[in-house]
Amino acid sequence: MTYVIGKECIDVQDRSCIDVCPVDCIYEGGRKTYINPTECIDCGACELACPEVAIFPARKARGNAEWETFTRDNAEFFSETLPGRDEALGDPGGAGAVGAIGADTPLVANWSR
Amino acid sequence: MTTESRDVVVVGAGPAGLFATYYAGFRGLDVTLVDAQSEAGGQVTALYPGKLIHDVAGFPAITGSGLVAGLLTQAKEYSPRLLFDTDVTGLSRLEDGTFDVLTSNRGALHAKTVVLATGVGGIHPRPLPVGHEWHGRGVVYIVSDVASHAGDDVVVVGGGDSALDWALALRPAARTVTIVHRRRAFRAHAALLAQAEREGIGLVTEAEVVAVDGDHRVRQVLVRLDSGETLDLPADTVVGALGLLSAPTPFPEWGLAVRQRKVLVDSRMQTSVPGVFAVGDASTYDGKVALIATGFGEAATAINNAAVHIDPELSLMPGHSTDEELAPPTTRTGQVPVVAVTQEVGA
Repeated sequence: MTYVIGKECIDVQDRSCIDVCPVDCIYEGGRKTYINPTECIDCGACELACPEVAIFPARKARGNAEWETFTRDNAEFFSETLPGRDEALGDPGGAGAVGAIGADTPLVANWSR
Repeated sequence: MTTESRDVVVVGAGPAGLFATYYAGFRGLDVTLVDAQSEAGGQVTALYPGKLIHDVAGFPAITGSGLVAGLLTQAKEYSPRLLFDTDVTGLSRLEDGTFDVLTSNRGALHAKTVVLATGVGGIHPRPLPVGHEWHGRGVVYIVSDVASHAGDDVVVVGGGDSALDWALALRPAARTVTIVHRRRAFRAHAALLAQAEREGIGLVTEAEVVAVDGDHRVRQVLVRLDSGETLDLPADTVVGALGLLSAPTPFPEWGLAVRQRKVLVDSRMQTSVPGVFAVGDASTYDGKVALIATGFGEAATAINNAAVHIDPELSLMPGHSTDEELAPPTTRTGQVPVVAVTQEVGA
């Protein structure tokens, strides 16, 4: 169970979502933010806070190719080793402690708006 | 320091912990309920008190706060000891198989069994990124006594409903009230915002507090606007209203097996440590569905198994709460105090 940040966030990174996340599970990449699917408690606060309407619940992604892609991509931000990094981010247990990551998944890094 | 011993200490006063507390009383166990917040309800109270919940058995729709009020009334039936504003900092198993539940401000609570209903962890106000070190010397997160801020210059930091609520509450007593918010738009309800403007509350948007200064207490804050301009605001009180943040419970440090940060339990809801049970969002097992509805069942399972852990001669089954002699004290007359039955079946 998790919420997911979609393409509308790319190059915007308003970060209102980070302000309202009660478990600090939204991490800053280089071009967008990403929700850790293990740490997310599915409260939905970020969805309401996002001025870009970029955030959707993963359970609504089924059958929507773009949302399915971003759902997978949000998870891979944590499970895969990002370009320029030595190991996968995993589940750090709080974005504040690790700071901005400064890297993106290949999908987002190569995204052209 | 160890206070009196209990059959059960329940950690966490969310829905699962409240129902476990009720259930412990119903089973004849004496129980203490501990929570980090100042009131009951856990995530429900912190995140969605006004939202309608539709998947609690028996309630086609009930607000979060309505559910918590009912659960608290039910939990109090057997006069449990309720400790709010108390963080649980550790859990130690004693040689005789009982436990000390270590707390931030109440010493150790001794218990024969422990039920962890800690949800997403202790919930606290989000600390101010700048100025938190002045907490208690002008920086506050909860305004408990408005009158004590009479004549103050007040700066409220945040842009949600709670920022507006604190500002409006303090406005009559304070000399000035100014809200400083990082963004241009407020998350708070438009009606609250309009009221704030009517009542002369200052709104400084697209701005951040970059320094808090004072002597033995806060005297002023330095605000930097996105435009680059800076602003000195006199401040006797700075209210942090940046929402809530939960701190994950360090279960592995307490000797408990975990999976993806949740406490692993068996079908008794017992953890890897005999006598310690976990329920609700804090717990996990194969096929787990994290809902309030399942949390209630987990609480009943945990407490009945805790009763047997304490006295293996006891039956796992509690008996039926419909039996007059088992019914909670205030409902023995057959009155239904919490839920109004408004429609007869078939009417």
